[in-house]
Amino acid sequence: MRFGERLRSGLWKQRVEDEVDSEFEFHVEMRTREYVAQGMSAGDARERAIRRFGDINRVNHTCRDIGRLRDRDVRRTEYFSEIVQDVTFAVRQMIKNPAFTAVAVITLALGIGATTAIFSAVKAVVLQPLPFPDPDRLLAVYEEYQGGRGNVSAGNYVDGIEPVQKFESITAVQYSSFNISDAGQPERVVGARTTWGFFQVFSIAPVLGRVFTRDDDQPGREQVVVLSHRLWTRRFGSDSAVVGKEITLNGRPHEVVGVMPATFDFTAQTEELWVPIAFTPERKTQHDEHYLQVYGRLKPDATTAEAIAELQINANHLRQTYPNDNPELGFAAVTALEELVGDYPRRLYTLLGAVGFVLLIACGNIANLLLARGAARSTELAIRTSLGAGRGRIARQLLTESVVLSIVSAAAGVVLAGWGIKALVAAAPEGVPRLEQTAIDGGVLAFAVVVALGCALLFGLAPAIRAARSDVQAMLKEGGRGGSLGGVRDRLRSTLIAAELALALLLLVGAGLLIRSSLALQRVNAGFDPSGVMSARLALPAAEFTDHDRIALAFTQLAERVKAIPGTEQTALTTQIPMGPGGNSNGLIREGVAFDQRNGIQSRLRIVSPGYFSTMRIPIIKGRDVSEADRRGGLKVMIVSQSLAEAAFPGQDPIGKRIACCEPAADGKSPDYKTIVGMVGDVRWRGPGIAATPEFYLPLAQAPRGSWEWVQRTMYVVVRTSLTPEAMSNPLRMAAADVAPGVPLFGLMTMEQRVMNSLATAKFNTLLLTLLSAIGLVLSAVGIYGVIAYFVTRRTQEIGVRMALGATRLDVVRLVIGQAAKPVALGIVAGMIASAFLTRILSSQLFGVTPGDPVTFAIVATTLAAVGLLASLVPATRAATVNPTRALHTN
Amino acid sequence: MAPTSSKPDPSGMLHGTLDALVLKTLSWGSRHGYGIAKWIEDATDEAVIVEEGSLYPALYRMERRGWIEAEWGISELGRKAKFYRITAKGRRQLASETQEWAKFASAVSKILLPA
Repeated sequence: MRFGERLRSGLWKQRVEDEVDSEFEFHVEMRTREYVAQGMSAGDARERAIRRFGDINRVNHTCRDIGRLRDRDVRRTEYFSEIVQDVTFAVRQMIKNPAFTAVAVITLALGIGATTAIFSAVKAVVLQPLPFPDPDRLLAVYEEYQGGRGNVSAGNYVDGIEPVQKFESITAVQYSSFNISDAGQPERVVGARTTWGFFQVFSIAPVLGRVFTRDDDQPGREQVVVLSHRLWTRRFGSDSAVVGKEITLNGRPHEVVGVMPATFDFTAQTEELWVPIAFTPERKTQHDEHYLQVYGRLKPDATTAEAIAELQINANHLRQTYPNDNPELGFAAVTALEELVGDYPRRLYTLLGAVGFVLLIACGNIANLLLARGAARSTELAIRTSLGAGRGRIARQLLTESVVLSIVSAAAGVVLAGWGIKALVAAAPEGVPRLEQTAIDGGVLAFAVVVALGCALLFGLAPAIRAARSDVQAMLKEGGRGGSLGGVRDRLRSTLIAAELALALLLLVGAGLLIRSSLALQRVNAGFDPSGVMSARLALPAAEFTDHDRIALAFTQLAERVKAIPGTEQTALTTQIPMGPGGNSNGLIREGVAFDQRNGIQSRLRIVSPGYFSTMRIPIIKGRDVSEADRRGGLKVMIVSQSLAEAAFPGQDPIGKRIACCEPAADGKSPDYKTIVGMVGDVRWRGPGIAATPEFYLPLAQAPRGSWEWVQRTMYVVVRTSLTPEAMSNPLRMAAADVAPGVPLFGLMTMEQRVMNSLATAKFNTLLLTLLSAIGLVLSAVGIYGVIAYFVTRRTQEIGVRMALGATRLDVVRLVIGQAAKPVALGIVAGMIASAFLTRILSSQLFGVTPGDPVTFAIVATTLAAVGLLASLVPATRAATVNPTRALHTN
Repeated sequence: MAPTSSKPDPSGMLHGTLDALVLKTLSWGSRHGYGIAKWIEDATDEAVIVEEGSLYPALYRMERRGWIEAEWGISELGRKAKFYRITAKGRRQLASETQEWAKFASAVSKILLPA
């Protein structure tokens, strides 16, 4: 080794060319001497010596080439051995300072772990492509109506979307629930009725049997079903003999023709079976019932824009052909992935940003720790420099220490992220698509490593450059206290503190706004009283319950049986419940304006039994409830919500007015007017945070002919009861079994649960952001404390002098707190400015507060100022108790 | 069979033989390039002539492989010269080449010099 080291300094700084030339020259000279000794003339001898090399220039070049390769190898080995040295040294340093290492690693591991966990959720939900061939070519097609996106009617699908040339395959889907009722428990599963092209659009082949053919998709032949892998495994025990067998869906036998692979269950919420939709010729001409979701696969050479252009041409045509059904119709298309993830990218990226801020605050703290340690180590570094270590080498050494620290922290962080992901998935509200697929994989690991290296650069670069630049002489003279650089260092450290505080303020303002929104949401009157109300849903099978009266009777019987349950105070039926899934809307046209959909007021349909309003405690503002007297064949009545009354009859009394809805009269053309007999309060039916829209209520006995099909023979029973939900569920199930044996009652939930669930996402976001901002606050408080405590330690002597010269303790406290005041104030101001811009990102999640809410800003700024003061008060008090005599002796 | 040659073609020497000779020479102590050539020539009574055109590329190659190391020193005549010395890796290489050579020589001898 010693030999090699000497070579390195002595030999390899020389150029290879010189090395070879002088070696050859020496050889030639020696040979020449030999020949001269043998009696040759000096000239001949030298010539012969050279000739012995053959082509001396060629040999020389060969040697130079090999020599260059040799030098390159050596440099490489040297470089790696230096890295190994640096890493070894870094690890030794870490072990030597266990307190520093523990604080730094824990801080960073938390930061990197949290960031990695959120990133893995982003990756699973947003970044992961759909598991279908060429997912970019998959589009979801909507109808656009009055600026909103809506489902597609069968007529518009058949006439306007199916013919689009830019699509290779296309499908219309109606998601709905199915009762499976053969061997085993009756079960309610989510399935889909699809046109036969469904499986071509998604380009996934079945694992067993076949998918639909064009023939299956015909009325009368549609009793076939394709099972999802999940349903096949769960209910049929992965029995491949199930193909060809019959199962009972909604009371009708269906032949199982195929089973899809597990990859087709690409989210936990996807449907579990598929049956052909089999449009009847009549259905294909209906343009005003919008209930289909449409997906298309673009041809390989077609673009989304081209497809949309073609769709628009068809939309224009449909508007002209069916002006009454399709006023203002347009089509829109987005990729299937965008449709799936909806507005989650925005929420998740906001979260990733927030967690990134926490990481930045953590990096700020580590940078401050390293700067303090760099000052403490300045003597060591100065000695190493004076012993010949280059400044670049020292900087590299310090940077290596940062990188090693980061990598160790990242390893711990990934373990934390693994736990974090489990907690996140468990605590997250239902319905976040693909969240359950969140996992630590190669991409996530790569992310963690990149983040760790980024952190190392962030907090390691400044101390490294500073150390490389520092003046050795001055350092050694200063006795290693780094006094001459103190001012510069303090400035850098103050800036870091200010930046940390600004980030913490930003997080706190975000969390504060969300918390204020939550509080506002809890105070909102949703228009009904959810407490003590239980709800459950029953869907009558189409096979048995074909007749309108039979359906109405079955539901009425259900209500009567529920009324008989002890503890029931009030009960009623409705087709649609506040905060419940699905629902139908109709364009209502008042008497006196042209019977044209352009005059329609889109309103939500609820078919109810008498007593619904009193059960739900929805106030009847004017008029009356529906009653037993509102029978079929009698006066057709309607109850409107306040906002519908205001939209249809502004400034007038709606009672007694007539309004058409739902279906044309018996002649198929003229309006079917209903008389308004009551006006009830608005209900925030989509959730407390979403403003009410017009609603109308029809008596169960007068339900429109087609309505049972629209609501798929499904009603909710609502019960105001003194019993607990647990005590209530069995009697409710028994009541349902009496009315429709073998049909499961589902969606048993209290109304309070429904309200809670509608707020779950908002609450979850609030919780996460609050948690993150709390961590950010604690970290920045620790940062302030650290910097001020360091300031006090370094100035102990100066403080001693001041006190000896008559400064009071209060003066000292003031001096120390003054050090903190500037960066704290700067941070708060910078944070306020940044918040004013960035909180707008949250505006869609806010309720009852503006993004610039002055109250939130003021509270947060005051909190931070107080925390800054408190964090610096501790070291300030310590400074004030300095004993001047002892302080003057320290050095 | 001896690797004598007056042709400048390095392939005139059996493959690996020159390396083995150089390593063997250096196993007695460090020498400069000329010293190596001269020692081999003297030791074989000039039956083996080492060509400079083969020797130096071989030295550079072996140095790159780590079989030998080089150091500048002062020659017997007071001149600056590049001295080579064998490394531990070079000794292992020498041992294996010597073994190969022995096997090869005895095999060839069976044919050319039947007992």
